[in-house]
Amino acid sequence: MIEEPVPSSRGPRPAFAHASEAELARILTYYDVRWEYEPDTFPISWTLDGEVVESFSPDFYLPDLDLYVELTTLKQSLVRKKNRKLRRLRELYPDVRIKLFYARDFRMLLLKFGRLALAEELSGTTGQATPPRAPSPGAASALPGASGTGDASAASRSPDGAAGRRAPEPSSTGDAAPAAGEADDAVGSAASAALLAADADAGRTPRGRRRGRRRRAAARSAAQSAEAPTHPAGAAPRGQGPVPSAGTRPA
Amino acid sequence: MSRTADLHADVGEVLLTEDDIRAKTAELGRRITADYAGRPLTLVSVLKGSLPFMADLMRQIDLPLRIDLMEVSSYGGTATETSGLVRIIKDLSASISGEDVLLVEDIIDTGLTLNYLVRYLRGKNPASLRICTLLDKPARRLVDIPVDYRGFEIPDQFVVGYGLDYSERYRNLRFVGVLRPEVYSEAG
Repeated sequence: MIEEPVPSSRGPRPAFAHASEAELARILTYYDVRWEYEPDTFPISWTLDGEVVESFSPDFYLPDLDLYVELTTLKQSLVRKKNRKLRRLRELYPDVRIKLFYARDFRMLLLKFGRLALAEELSGTTGQATPPRAPSPGAASALPGASGTGDASAASRSPDGAAGRRAPEPSSTGDAAPAAGEADDAVGSAASAALLAADADAGRTPRGRRRGRRRRAAARSAAQSAEAPTHPAGAAPRGQGPVPSAGTRPA
Repeated sequence: MSRTADLHADVGEVLLTEDDIRAKTAELGRRITADYAGRPLTLVSVLKGSLPFMADLMRQIDLPLRIDLMEVSSYGGTATETSGLVRIIKDLSASISGEDVLLVEDIIDTGLTLNYLVRYLRGKNPASLRICTLLDKPARRLVDIPVDYRGFEIPDQFVVGYGLDYSERYRNLRFVGVLRPEVYSEAG
């Protein structure tokens, strides 16, 4: 029987996006380090209209250490996007302490505990997702668009209305000057995600630039058809603060 | 003896020689002796990896001191079992209340064990609690804890020897070396 780690704070058992996250949670629990799973989402990119188009949800928050931890079991060559997001978060929220735990770190950690085989099992491009569970009361079910790498877009989180701890507002020294952002609405839709994906590798080579233009055109077309019905009429911008994620955060 | 030959062959690179360790231990001993300036000191070491360092360090400290040993369980949970909580396998044999305590560690990497121990020992109300480690691997630090006495900062590699083990082996090497990756890859 799989024993799912329980967060230190009150609240439901989190639905871990990736088995490696569950394993790290077990390790933290074992060493009596309090943790919360994906308690906050930090917007990191906005449109000119102030809509959040990209955000970052660190996997863990360790309240006693005031530290966010992002775990990735992706191969080193595939973590460029995550590194970029992390740099962006540090620019915008310089007071937020965050550490990225790479696949190698995770592997070495499990090696130390004599669990290297488990590290191999959990690492890679996808890893093994934790088995589905029946949602706990108040807990979100699996989030649409959740990638298992903790970098789901803002719209993949729905507002839970819980009084969550709020991390600092973005620093004015950041190179983005967000005006306003309704992080909870549908701006991070699949279409927006497609836009971001198109930007990720476009522009480095002529072929990449052409491919990027084609992808962006397709994504814009998808966005036009997708955005209108997903924006609730009269939805008021809520500001640029990190957004408590739905359900996964213990109350 | 074939076992000794195997042990040496499994080490890809010698990171710290016996002489390096001896010199650093003497230096740390002098600093500790000066800092505590005649006050009695209690050295607390954590089994098993810190044993050689503790044995060498205590003989470099020119102070009235006593030693104590602790052992804590290590995480070994799997996805199919309950891993529980860290356990004190061997507790202190005497009270440290009101005493100056120096926690002697072989290596600090994530800081998880150290963080647990520091909180545990602070709960026993020592007059002071400082940390001494022979090796520090800051690249892998998860829990930041101020280290008062640091021997060597080492790169993020899996090291064995001078008390440090892999599967309970290599502790008896007189140096600290990097274990060949194929050793643990083969073992899985």
